[in-house]
Amino acid sequence: MIEATQTAISHPEVAKITSPSGVEVFRKELQSRLDPNAPLIIVCCGTGCQAAGSAEVVDKFKQMLSGTDWNGKVIPLVKPTGCHGFCSRGPLVIIEPQDLFYQQVTVDDVEEIVNKTILNNEVIKKLQYKPANSKEVIPKASDIPYYAKQTRLVLKNIGKVDPTEINDSIVRGSYSALASVLTRMSPQQVIDEVANSKLRGRGGAGFPTGLKWESCARQEGTRYVICNADEGDPGAFMDRSLLEGDPHSVLEGMAICAYAVGSNRGYMYVRAEYPLAVKTLNIAIHQAEALGLLGENIMGTGFDFKVTISTGAGAFICGESSALMASLEGKVGRPRPKYIRSVEKGFRDSPSNLNNVETYANIPDIITNGGEWYKSFGTERSSGTKVFALTGNVYNIGLVEVPMGISLMEIVFGIGGGIPNKRALKGVQTGGPSGGCIPIPHKIPDINVGYGKLAEAGSIMGSGGMIVMDEDTCMIEVSRYFVNFLVEESCGQCTPCREGLIRMREILNRITQGEGREGDVELLTEIGNFTNNFSLCGLGTSAANPVLSTIRYFREEYDAHIRDKKCPSGVCKPLFHYDIDAETCTGCGLCKIKCPVKAITGEKKKTHVIEQALCIKCMECYKNCKFRSVKIM
Amino acid sequence: MKVLNIILNGKAVTAKMGQTILELAREHDVFIPTLCDSPALEAAAMCRLCTVQVIEGKWPKYVTACNFPLRRDAEVVTDSPDVRHGRKLIIELLMARCPTSPELQRLAVDYGCDLERFTPLNDDCVICGLCTRACEAVTGRTLSLAGRGVAIHVDTAFQKASTFCIGCGACVQICPVQKIKMEDVDGERRIILHGKIASRVKLPQCTSCGKYFGPVIDLKQVMERMGEHLIPPPNATVCPECSRRNLAIKLGKRYFEQYGVFEEEGQANAG
Amino acid sequence: MSGTACACQEIECGEIEIDYSLLDKIIRYDYGGNREAMIMMMQAIQRVYRFLPEDAVKYLSQVIEVPLTKIYEVATFYASFSLEPKGKYILSVCTGTACHLRGSGGMVEHISKRMGIAPGKTTSDLKLTLETVNCVGACAVAPVVVIDEKYYPKANIATLNDFMDRLNAE
Repeated sequence: MIEATQTAISHPEVAKITSPSGVEVFRKELQSRLDPNAPLIIVCCGTGCQAAGSAEVVDKFKQMLSGTDWNGKVIPLVKPTGCHGFCSRGPLVIIEPQDLFYQQVTVDDVEEIVNKTILNNEVIKKLQYKPANSKEVIPKASDIPYYAKQTRLVLKNIGKVDPTEINDSIVRGSYSALASVLTRMSPQQVIDEVANSKLRGRGGAGFPTGLKWESCARQEGTRYVICNADEGDPGAFMDRSLLEGDPHSVLEGMAICAYAVGSNRGYMYVRAEYPLAVKTLNIAIHQAEALGLLGENIMGTGFDFKVTISTGAGAFICGESSALMASLEGKVGRPRPKYIRSVEKGFRDSPSNLNNVETYANIPDIITNGGEWYKSFGTERSSGTKVFALTGNVYNIGLVEVPMGISLMEIVFGIGGGIPNKRALKGVQTGGPSGGCIPIPHKIPDINVGYGKLAEAGSIMGSGGMIVMDEDTCMIEVSRYFVNFLVEESCGQCTPCREGLIRMREILNRITQGEGREGDVELLTEIGNFTNNFSLCGLGTSAANPVLSTIRYFREEYDAHIRDKKCPSGVCKPLFHYDIDAETCTGCGLCKIKCPVKAITGEKKKTHVIEQALCIKCMECYKNCKFRSVKIM
Repeated sequence: MKVLNIILNGKAVTAKMGQTILELAREHDVFIPTLCDSPALEAAAMCRLCTVQVIEGKWPKYVTACNFPLRRDAEVVTDSPDVRHGRKLIIELLMARCPTSPELQRLAVDYGCDLERFTPLNDDCVICGLCTRACEAVTGRTLSLAGRGVAIHVDTAFQKASTFCIGCGACVQICPVQKIKMEDVDGERRIILHGKIASRVKLPQCTSCGKYFGPVIDLKQVMERMGEHLIPPPNATVCPECSRRNLAIKLGKRYFEQYGVFEEEGQANAG
Repeated sequence: MSGTACACQEIECGEIEIDYSLLDKIIRYDYGGNREAMIMMMQAIQRVYRFLPEDAVKYLSQVIEVPLTKIYEVATFYASFSLEPKGKYILSVCTGTACHLRGSGGMVEHISKRMGIAPGKTTSDLKLTLETVNCVGACAVAPVVVIDEKYYPKANIATLNDFMDRLNAE
């Protein structure tokens, strides 16, 4: 709140925009002030880059710029932005107008960048991007395959705008969709346009957005527009990046929704673990209200829409719509035991339209370009694009926006750059704890990513988490991990979910400990099907998916654990040991150096040996052996 | 009001709009087991034991009979093999939590449960939420479902004996596994939850016979709720027994004054 | 002002002074005494004391007229609330999927063993609280450890040992 006020104060000259056409006038005026050739230093300040030290890089740039003699040249601008998505290469710096891409920039590199690149137009080779299997550097950001192969609609502003500076967003077109809605469209026309786009909810279930709006608009009384920003899936950070990088697209989408369904109160429910997102949103709302783009009498049209931020307090279940609304009311976030939809009776027992962050962020473009345009992306049943958080055992970790229907292999290899350390791909987990594991490329050669296709394969779209797993991943351990997560995150009120998860965890624990019994897989399947059929809410009815999908595709791994007491992937410690293959070991001695407990002995150029009694199975030797001579036994 | 045509276990019946499946089944003497349902409280659908299958469109879906409102013509199957199998698992799982409940034991026999499948969890509660909902309906100040997920349990604030409890005993009465106890000792009423004292409420001593009776705050609560409708106000210093006797004597006296045939021994007994 | 004994028995942490005027500011002024904002009031109170002292919760209950047991229910439901005092340093290990695949489980085990505390618990000298968090969204630099809100990317046992050595030397 404090930061927000200060930023608002720093623009005292800003007058409220009093008509929808005023947005365009203001945008043109802002544009005319920009010098397209002025140097610009863009520093990614998303969570990944900040964790790697980008805030210090920004500070150092600012310090350098004020301390440098510019000799009449235009002083460059330093712009901290939201997440560019290429997190594994962070901190990222892009120099405009050349579109020069620098990766893994540290504070120590800043001086060199200013002196060489900015002052003398000289490229610094060591900071440039080189693809995994190539010696050629790729100097421009837009040429890097990771970016070039994406279709960025929702993410179009991220990495281009300073999220704490509303003018930056307005220059790039923010709030012009809202302006045109308020001048030339009736609420029904807005709903029709959204329905025509065939946009489906990006939170996971894929409910048609237009249909939801339509049924909310049909209700009577006070209506609420709620944004679900309780992104709880471990390994998913799309919503976070949107809120931190381009909050105005989300807010504008909410305002358009409010106009369509006849609401003037909006709530943004943000996860407490995302402090930066809350801060950025606060600033954004303040600035938008100061300009008359949100709040009372928006653009002088008499339309009011006030957005309030509410923070969660650490509960995955609050991503479920009725639990979220209970939490908004200050109560315990347990899903409501009622067969009634929240568009009829939701927050405060009033009609409430709840959508996810990414869904709202899609809206302004659909209004500006039309539903037909949106449908030109994606497939017949899944239109548009989807943002995925690509993580796990893949080269390029980060945010990826692709058209629906794209091949999963293309995401992993084309955009993700493939699997590091010469490992083989075993599968891709989508949909987080409610999703499943898709066994590409061995058991299913490939799959086109869409709501229907993923469901057929026993997984779900979910909110967009995509975790790549290589051959060193134990599928039983993965399902144990998700079940363990859900045991703690289930609200605990209904018997099948609570007790079923406790028992599934018990069984998976004993399998990974080497105490699995014949019949355990059948028991897991029985409990899993029961939990999925009998539970109260969406969390419970999908809780067994990770277990059921791994049983479906990786049954032989379960059998190896239970019958042979072996973990073929070398993860479950009681079920394997490492041995050095005498034939391929060159005696290089690297494993001996890396071993933290001195369990490896052997002379130079002779086969090394692992002393099993000392080995703690930390994986260091296995990971570091260049000849893959350390074997899982 | 619109009448719905429902096929209940193969038999054509009619239902009122919005009626729950459980209400309809009871009307037609179709037994559906329940654990967390009470006619006095709003359905919570927590135990899921009343799960049945409903076909409103093409596909059958699992719903809980206690709170599923019938709004369209539909087919309801309350006892299919799938439904029975799910209930069997619920009972087995709950028996592992709370093996000594007579109610659950009876159901376990009905559903042919295998009680060896799950290792016992040392607990005495099936988390049906009846006690917390009953408490909420009375005052809402003592019991709640604390914790989350596997850690969920019935508790008082800060796990301390509640100072807000009125000792009404609703939680004790409603517990389907009879695990909440109440005892009146040494001039106080104690509610015992998970073997610990969850509340102590002072009992007033009857000024007439000397016995301890109904908790003090309970009467206050009654007076608050009844407001001006309370005629005559309860006498908080005399126990109900003595209060009845005193009233009888008063009436007897009036009778004697009118008809002159009042027996004197009655008065000697009054304390 | 009044003192209150701590909720936890094992830890000697003395009395906590509750500043009721500050609570009033949070409850009545910042959130207008609105019951719907109870979770945020509790977060604000926790920011002041680093946990939720019983007396502060009781005061909240009186002011907004929500039964104490209901606030307790909320406090034990949401993972971010603590009814026990936290340590001077809070070390959270991210156990999101990406971090888990890269060994965050082993790191939790390591700290647990070395400091003698289970996850969620605080050392008896109130120096360190060990927590786990379900994904902080920095999967690219997994595994991530957050010490007092500062992110440590690509953490390993050595990072943790450095920190614990410094802590023990304090």
